[in-house]
Order: sequence, then C-alpha cells, then structure tokens
Amino acid sequence: MTGSADLPLLSDPPSYGTGRPPFQCEFPIAIANPADTNRLSLTGVTRVRRIKRMRSKVIWSSLVSLACGLSVSPMGSAFPGLELPGAPASEDPAVYVIRAEKLIERPGVVHENTSVLISDGRILEIGPDIALPDGATELKGAVVCASFIDPWSALGVDNGVLADTKMAESARTADGLNLFDVDHLFQEALRAGVTSARVQGGWQGKVCGLGAFVRLDPTLNDPKHAVLLPDADLAMSVGHSVNRGATFQRMGDGTFQMISGDRPTDVFDRVSEIEAVVSSVEAGEAYRRAEVEYKFKLKEWQEAIAEKQEELEDDFKKAKKDRDKKVKKAKEDGKEHKESKYKEDKKPREPKFNEDKAALARVAEGEIPLVVEVHRSSAIRNLLAGTERFSRLRLVIAGGSEALSCAEDLAERGIPVIVWPSLRGTTKKDEFTGATLSLAGELAAAGVPVLLGSGGRDADTTRDLPLLAQLAVGHGLEKEQALEALTIGAARAFDVADRVGSVELGKDADLLILDGMPLEPFTKIQYVFCGGRPAVTPEDN
Amino acid sequence: MIPLTEALLAAITASVPAPTLPVAVEATPVAEMSVYADAVYTGAGETIENAMVVIADGKITAITPGAEPGDEDLHVAAITPGMVDLSARIYPDGYSVEETEEVTPWIRVDLSLDPFSRDWDRQLRNGVTSVVASPYDNNCIGGLSVALKTGGSNSIEARTIKSNVALRGAIGSQPSSKNHPAFGRPTDFYSRRPTTRMGVEWTWRKAMYDALQAEGDKERAFDGLPQLLQALNGDLPVFVQAWATQDIRTAVFLKEEMAGEGKPNMQLIIDAGAEAWREIDFLVRTGTAVVLPPYRASGRTTDGAFFAADCAAKLDEAGVPVALSSHNAKAGGETLGQQAAHARRGGLSFDSALAAVTINPARMVGIDDRVGSIEVGKDADLALWNGTPFELTSRVVGVVLDGELVNDPRK
Amino acid sequence: MLNGLLAVALAAIFPGDTDIPSPTAAVERMTAFQAKLVHTGDGSSIEDCVILVKGGVITQVGANIKVPSGAELIVHDGALSPGLIALQSEDGAVGELNESTRTVMPEAEARYAFNPEHKDFSRALGVGITTLVLAPSPRSLIGGRTAVVKTSGGRVVKPAAQLMLGLSSDALNRNKFPTSYAGAMGELEKQFSNPEGSVSRAAGGSLPVLMDVNDRAETLRAIAFAARFDLKGALYGSYWAEDVVPAIKESGLDVVCTPFNVGEGSRGIRSVVGLSKAGVRIGFGLEAPDRHPESLRFGVALCVRDGLSPSAGMKALTGDAAAIAGVSGRVGRIARGLDADLVLWSADPVALSSTVKAVYIDGKLVHGGNQ
Repeated sequence: MTGSADLPLLSDPPSYGTGRPPFQCEFPIAIANPADTNRLSLTGVTRVRRIKRMRSKVIWSSLVSLACGLSVSPMGSAFPGLELPGAPASEDPAVYVIRAEKLIERPGVVHENTSVLISDGRILEIGPDIALPDGATELKGAVVCASFIDPWSALGVDNGVLADTKMAESARTADGLNLFDVDHLFQEALRAGVTSARVQGGWQGKVCGLGAFVRLDPTLNDPKHAVLLPDADLAMSVGHSVNRGATFQRMGDGTFQMISGDRPTDVFDRVSEIEAVVSSVEAGEAYRRAEVEYKFKLKEWQEAIAEKQEELEDDFKKAKKDRDKKVKKAKEDGKEHKESKYKEDKKPREPKFNEDKAALARVAEGEIPLVVEVHRSSAIRNLLAGTERFSRLRLVIAGGSEALSCAEDLAERGIPVIVWPSLRGTTKKDEFTGATLSLAGELAAAGVPVLLGSGGRDADTTRDLPLLAQLAVGHGLEKEQALEALTIGAARAFDVADRVGSVELGKDADLLILDGMPLEPFTKIQYVFCGGRPAVTPEDN
Repeated sequence: MIPLTEALLAAITASVPAPTLPVAVEATPVAEMSVYADAVYTGAGETIENAMVVIADGKITAITPGAEPGDEDLHVAAITPGMVDLSARIYPDGYSVEETEEVTPWIRVDLSLDPFSRDWDRQLRNGVTSVVASPYDNNCIGGLSVALKTGGSNSIEARTIKSNVALRGAIGSQPSSKNHPAFGRPTDFYSRRPTTRMGVEWTWRKAMYDALQAEGDKERAFDGLPQLLQALNGDLPVFVQAWATQDIRTAVFLKEEMAGEGKPNMQLIIDAGAEAWREIDFLVRTGTAVVLPPYRASGRTTDGAFFAADCAAKLDEAGVPVALSSHNAKAGGETLGQQAAHARRGGLSFDSALAAVTINPARMVGIDDRVGSIEVGKDADLALWNGTPFELTSRVVGVVLDGELVNDPRK
Repeated sequence: MLNGLLAVALAAIFPGDTDIPSPTAAVERMTAFQAKLVHTGDGSSIEDCVILVKGGVITQVGANIKVPSGAELIVHDGALSPGLIALQSEDGAVGELNESTRTVMPEAEARYAFNPEHKDFSRALGVGITTLVLAPSPRSLIGGRTAVVKTSGGRVVKPAAQLMLGLSSDALNRNKFPTSYAGAMGELEKQFSNPEGSVSRAAGGSLPVLMDVNDRAETLRAIAFAARFDLKGALYGSYWAEDVVPAIKESGLDVVCTPFNVGEGSRGIRSVVGLSKAGVRIGFGLEAPDRHPESLRFGVALCVRDGLSPSAGMKALTGDAAAIAGVSGRVGRIARGLDADLVLWSADPVALSSTVKAVYIDGKLVHGGNQ
C-alpha cells in the first residue's frame, strides 16, 4: 500500500466520477511517535493535497509537450497512457476547434485570437494556430470564457432531500439527486451559461449533510456522470427557525385556531447552534485522532506479536517443558493451572466506526470544506472565534447577510463567503433582515473572497445566477471579481479547479462562446459547452 | 399608443394558434364535410346503415343512406349524436357558489366557469359535446345553470347554447353540511340555519312561499324573486340534487304543495337520483324527470343512497324521462358512454340508452332544438365510435363539434 | 347613497381630475444636465444631450443646446433616464391598504394611507424609482382609488388615478361575501348598473380602472366586463396573458405586469414579452415592500434576456407606465414641461449591472450625487 503513495490515482479506475481520493488511513509508519497524532494526520492531509497537485502537473506537462512540439494527432486516442479519472462519458467523440477573438482563460488573463481544441470532453490544446483536424467542427466567437458555476444551488436535488430537516453529517446529497423532472430547468440554466453547481440538500436542518458538485447536463441523466464530486462539502446551518409543528388552540366560541409552531430564532438559539457546529468539528478531530492512534498501536502490537512468535519458536521445547512442569506442580498442589499472561495478548481495540464522525473528521482535517449558512453578525463572530483553533478547517460561509462586520477577520483567514444577492422585501423579519445587495461588493472590497450563489432553496433560481451577479455588480462588486466568483473562485472553493472554472489545458471543456464580454447585459450566449458537448447552440436561443 | 398598421395586426392575428382564439370569435368551420359510418344512430328513432352525414356551416344538411366511402373519406363504425351530460360538474370547485346566503337564485354559474379548464377537453374527447354546468351544491337554491358546448371558442359566451336553463338547488345533507349553530357568539356566516334536512326543506319552502307572496306585491320583492317565479310558473325547470329516497320525496312533495298553491306547472328534474327506483310512483304521478348518477359497482352512493343497477331500466319502463350522467370530468373517471353501457347491463334497451345520453337530457333543459339528435338543421355535433356504441369494448374515437372535426379518428 | 354623498363631498374638495399643482419655488436657478446618453422615456435616446431645468420642470431637451450662462451645469459621463415608475406598491403604507371589513369601497383613497417619511421611499429612490402607484388591495371587489406619489417629499402627483377592481380569486373569501365569481360579478354589475361617485366616473371612462386578474378565465371575464361598461384602464396580472394576448390587444386595455421573482417561471416572462410584441402597452407592478425595489428592473432584465427589446423595457418602466397611471403629462418622459425627475446611471438603466449615481426629483437632488 505504502509503495503506491505517490501517484496512485492516475491509473486507478475513477471512483464515482471524482478525482478526489477517498480518505485512506495509510500514514507513513516510519514516524515513530504515536502520541503526536496531530502531526501525523497533518502529514496525511498534505499527502492528499500533494497528490492532487502532482497529478494536475503531470497532465499539464504531458499535454503542454504534446501541444507544443510533437506532431501527434490531437485526438483522445493519442494519449494511450493517460487515463483521466472521471472523464465525462461522452457518447460523441466529436472534436471541436473554437476560434476566439478573445479568450478569457480566467478573469484577468486574456489572450487575443486564440483557438481551443476540444476532444472527448476535454481541452486538449490552446494556441494561436490550431489546424482543423479531420471531421472536427469549427466554431468562431468574439469571446470565449469558462462557463459559470453556482456554488449554492438546489437544482437536481430531490424535493424530499431539500426539505429534510434531519440530515445526518454523512448523508450525501449525491444520493438524493433527481435529474428527471427538472430537465427544463437544467436546459434553462445551461442557456444562462451555468454548467455546474454545488448542490446541497436539507437546508432547513441544522446539519445539511454532504453536498455534491454536479454538472448540469440533462443528457447525462445517470448521476454517475453528472456528479463530479459526491462529497464537495459538509454543510450546516445556523439560525433558521424550523417548523416545530402546529398546535391548535380552542377559542372562546368553540372553534379552534391553528397556532404556528415556528418560532423566530433568538440570540440564545444562535449561540447554542454555533456551539453545536464547533463541537461537531471537535468530535471529528477526536475521531480522527483515535483512528490514527489505533493504527499505530495496532502496528506496535503486531510487531510485538511477531517478535514473541519468533522467540517462542526458537525456545519451543524449553517453553513446553516449563509449562508442563508448572501444570504438574499445580496439580500436586491441588490448584488450577493459570496460564501466564503476556502483554501481547491484549490487541488494541479498533475505534467503533461512525460514519457521521468520519465525515466530520474529514472536515476537521480540511479534506472537504465546511459550509455554514449563517447570517447574523454575532453568530458569525462566534463561529469565527470557535473555529479559530482548527488550523486545517476550511470554513466557507453561506449567506453571511451581516458578514461585513467581520470582514477583517474573514479576509485575514481567507474564508470565502457565498453571497446570495436576493431580492428580499423588508416586511419579513427573519435572519436575512441585514441583507443588502451591496454586500458582495463591500466584502470583496474588504478583501474577503466572495462567491455568488443562488441560495440553494429553489431549483429554478440557478438559471438567474448571471443576472444576480449583474445585480451585485450594479451594487458595487467589480465585474472581474463577479466573473471570478462565478468561475474559478467557486471551483477552487470546492476542489474542482482541476476540472472546471477556467479555460486551460487538460480541463473539462465547460465553456461559453459569447458575442461580447461575459456578464454584460446585452451580451448573448451563442454556445454553451458542457462536458465537451455544445449543450446550447444559437438555435436554442 | 403605437399606431398599428393593418399588416402588423394581421401578422399578430395570424401568429396566434387557433385554440387560443379570444372572445366571441367563432372557430371557422370547414365549409362542408361528410362523415361515413356503417351505422348512424340518429337518436330520432332511426338507425341508418352505411350512411353519410353531410355537414355544412356547422349544421347537419343531409343524412344519405347507402353511401360508399372512398379511401380518403372519414369512415367509422358508428355515429351517434354528440352526447349531452346534464350533471357534468365542470366548475372551479369552491368559487362557483355564493355561500353568503343559502338561497341565491340569481347567481349565474357561467360567470364562474373557466374555459381553460382541462375538464372540458376530457368531456369533449369522450363524445360529450354539450353539458349543463350548475353551481356547486353547497346552497339550498344555488342559482342558474347554463348549457354549453364543450369546445370551440375560449369565450364562455360563445360556448353557451342556452343560458339560464334551470334553477339549480340541492336537497339532502350537503346544503347544511358546512353550517353550524352559533355557540356563544357567531364566528362566520356558517353560524346559521339550516343544519338539518328539515331545515333544508324549510328553507326551500320558505323561498317558494316568499315568492308566492311577493308575486303581486312590489313591496315584498327580493333578490332572486324573478327566477323563483319563473320556476314556479314552469318557465324554468327546477333541477334538484337528491340522492336518497327521502330527498326525492321531499322534492316531489314540494312540487305537489306548490301545485296546491296554484302553481301546477313547476317542472322538476331530480339530479343524482340514485334511489329513484324506489319512488317510481311518485315520479310518474308528478311527471318528474330524473338524471342518474354514475354507476358504482357496490351500489353505495352519497347520503347512503343505494343505486340499483337496473334503476334506469325500471324508470324507463315506467315512462319516467331518464338521463345518465358521468359526474366526472377528471382523468381516470368513467365516461358518459360507459355509463350507458352500465345502464344497458342493467336492462335498459339500446334505444333508451341512446336517448338517455342524447335527446332526453337535451329535452329536459330545452336545448333539443339544437342538439341531442342527428337531424337536418341541427348542430353538427357527432360522436364517432369504433364499434357498437355503449359496449364496454368500444369507445369514442372521434368527435365533430359544430361541424368541426375536433378529434380526428384517423390520427 | 352614502357613496354618492361622499363623492359629492370629495368632488367639492378636488374638482374634476385636476392634479395638485407642484409647489414651485419662486425664483430658482436654471440647472443644466449634460449626459452621454439620455433615454427620453418614449423608447428613443439622444446622445450627448443637454436638459435644461428650471423651477423643477424641464424647459428644454436636445443634443445641441447651449447652456445659458449662470446655469448650474451637471455633467454626467453615463446614461440618464426619467425616474422609474412602479405601478403597484404598498411602500409607506403596509397593511393600510387592505380594508377587509367591506368589499365595496369605491370612495376610499390610497393617498390617505401612506407615511411620506417612511424609509421604504428612500429604498425605492436608491434604485431609481421616483414615482409609484399606491393601490388599494385587490382583495376587495372595489377597493378604492389609487394614488400616484413621488418617492421623495410625499408629493401626490395624482390623487385619484385609478379605481381598483378585484376580479381575481383574491377577492373571493371562504367565510364572507363574496365566495364565488358569480356573486362577485353580480355585485360589480349591480354597482356599475346604477353607478354613483367614482363608479360612475369609471363607467363613463373618465376614471381609469385597474382590474386585478390572475388566470386566463379571469382575464377574459375582466375584458368582457370592461367592454360591457365601457371601462378604460389596465389589467393587473400578466402571468397567464400569453394565451389571451389577442383578446387583451383587442380590448385596448393596458397591462400592469405582475412583478417577477428570482427564478420566475418562463410562462410569466413569455407572457410579458408576448404582450409587448403584440403592441399592448405594459408597465410593471412592484408589490414593495414585500419585494425588493430592484425587483422592478429585475423583471425587465428577465424579459430582456428572453426577447423583450431593451427600449421596450425602458418604456415600460417610464413613459408607458406614466401613461397607464394617467400621469404622462407630469412624469415618465424627458420632455419640455414635465417634472424634472431624473436618474443618473453609470450605464444603461435596463442593465442590472448599472449603478444609480444620483436621483433628482423636481430638479432637486434627492439621492446620491455629491450630497
């Protein structure tokens, strides 16, 4: 096992469409001090991340070399040794060459008159002069950029899962996808240029389970292909009043009146809910520590056993004699013979497996981000204070209506906020009371990484995300920051930056061909490439 | 306002698909059309084999026997008149009855109808081309029923065959079901009478006597008086829902009481008369017509009434005018044609079954001059069948409404 | 009877339909606005345009106008439009416009319901809305008369702009009159057959009506009702209009479109685009403060995304909206003699990414700028 630690994933078969390795407890045994579990697990984490980095580097370098020098036909089959994990299962091996007057690789990196070669769902070549391979389709456009990502969406999540208020930490939204009756919403989201999303069930609960990162391709109705990551994040929520069930009160005239069981969250609720979040992370950390300790104790024990075994085999006859003597003596004394005990008899006990704690452990170790929907400034402050000591925790704040008061702290710790620029009235008194449309712009100006999402409540809001982004721009967000939020920023926050979010070699071909700059009001989207396939063409608009 | 050129206006009109045509624009019928059938059941006492029904401008112009269809011609196994359902239950449930008062004879249900409801199309596709829509039976006297075509224009006005065809009401448990006595102080307008069968009958009788007293006395006039007087004088049939035998008796006795008060011409139609088979003598004595509810295998219906399978046959035999109804425009419900099949199994003759879904109901509400049979000069409303009508093995495969083939069996 | 008396009394206070005159300052300096692009509110635009304003009123508009000496010059490197107009709102009057105790109140006046200092108005100003229509609740059959007000200073542009009629199921109740369409229509017919006061002015066509409708059947019913009593005015409710566009077009009624939510279904958007393309005059309701005032522009942005021309969208927010509210002689366009309600935008006002830089009402800076 340990021998394959370097690059196990390039040749491994894809596991459920994700490029992320499932957590494996295979720490370098050479580290001797089992007490120092923190350091140990840290090594584990860095390993996981390193693998990811190296993998993309390898792809990158091999592709660059191919693209730059070798005159190899740029078809998928030209890379026999390179099996990419989780490649979109494309029935259509079509090759496209897109010639762009302006290619926005990522916000701020723009190339003039550049072409992009797409084959088998991936970007295989980017350069000024790409010859048109036989049978390839050539498309031209004024601007090409990465397609949009909704980092906070409900599209494709089954209604029951969305409404579930009792999600477990290990419950996966990926298992609650229902891609069938929302086909038209997928198509409309694609028309708006949104091709992937982080979807999350159970928004009304305190714990919302594991979110999934999905590609919005209505033709890929098999979740195995639509799901890029089945464990994009673990989400929790603070401050939402949950329906506690209605009661009936008898009125004076003999009739009954229904009394709503909802109670608006008060400050004490929020304090205890934040405490629950923090202690969950703590529990996850402890679980991981126990797991690692067990590994080492087991190893120690196995070594000791092996040692004793050898010893015993060497002196087998003597040992047998000694024992027979002891048995005999015991008989003479009329006592029962007691076998002597060895410390090696006591095998370390494996910690009881708990899938919820295992999920929390991954959060505590920063393997997946923790998304907490929280709005009030006091709650955000408490959350930031409570989580400060978890140095590897990757916190993402969703909503953050009053996050501006903690902007400095958020910026310093690099905690992204998924802003939901919603059009709320003022008549409802709820957690969103402090929300303004200028939040995104103000947070970004304070140096907080800002993402833009459609709120994760309704499946049909995802397609309006680009308009919401424009609204945020209208209220102070820089256009470039808005574009970054919708593309590479969202991809980075949920560990899919090696797949989507920018137009780069080796990445999935999720991109837009536009007749003007993205997020400009009157720019028309001409083509939307989703998984290397034109999911939207000018005929669709 | 932007001035619109004629061309632009024409373009707008042309771009609109036909079914969504607005107010009062009659769907232009195919000028002339012929439908061939192995058998044409005219509903006027004749069955013509191998006949051709010729239609022009929405009316039947000829029924030609012995016609040979060409390959291109529309040819089906059987043609019956488009069926008529007097109790079609096409209404937006809650909003079709004015419950503020329990007697509201002036309420016109046509103002509550939604021409875009899918219920219309379900009726039409099943061969029902005319229906009578009535206020929902939450009131004692609910208001005025209207006879309509089930398709064509989106305007209720244009669909109307005849408005105010009957004064609709209910006797039984339903009109009192939402009311309750006011314990302490009243909570809403349902804190009122009637709460019992006796109260319902009392409310009916009171309305009738109020009308009688106000007839010659302008000082006593009240809302709904003209409709009540029309009903008492026999100009407006009284269409009463009465499932159980006791409620049928109540209706009949009310009519007889009014006859004793000098109003012998009141016309009574019992709707949903499941237990009419128990009261044949009374029905015959008072010349009352009966609309039967849909068939139920168990016979058990609303208000505990037992609907005998041979009810239609018995009524028909005794000479009571009888009509069948499906009560159901919802998906999955049984069609009017199937109701006729059930009645046939209960012993009703074919001709009587045909009459019970066509000319009888049309006659009851006075629209038989336009619909209900295949006769020259009548509206070209036809149900086209793929076999002998009113057998469970055959069904309506095509429909002609006002001379327009709205459901083409060839497609 | 009482209605009649009330009408007479009110008519004495406010003879006819005359607007309340704007309080003009005695002597005021002329102000000149120079903007890169001016949307005039009637669908057209002028580049490098100068607008001269005196006494709160626009005195001259054009590309080649000399700014008189002594005039204060405001140069704006962006777009300028008339103040936006929302055709239905409860701003400053939440809960004060729904008189549920009686369903027929033709002489009720929305203008007596609002608090002119309410912060709802500054929220509206912040997104460029300078005029809005306060409408009685459509939960009544005849809810009363709408008022056209400005979002700053509580100025009433037109006190009795429209008569609000509730023809949708919202006006029907479960436990009080009316419970049925037939009952509701019967009552309305009764009121309009023997009209008094506001009703008689509406029946005569001198007071426009605003008829609340939800579905297609209600729309057709409203159109038939309007035709029967010769009513002029607008339908409020556009979601299902798609299927009855020709009937609406033929009726000559305008349409106040239902405000859109984020994630609005495509039918509602198609309906608005369809109405506009058929040449029906449209404007937008807002239903603030239940909704964010940016919903107004958001609705237009959704429609523009799905095929409405930006200029038609702009018209629906300004000139056409003013015409629907019956105040096109006062606001909604940038033309000589109209109130100087101006919004300075960073770019095209239809674009959500444009920012409001400054708002002027009656020539006075009321939001943004260098206040």
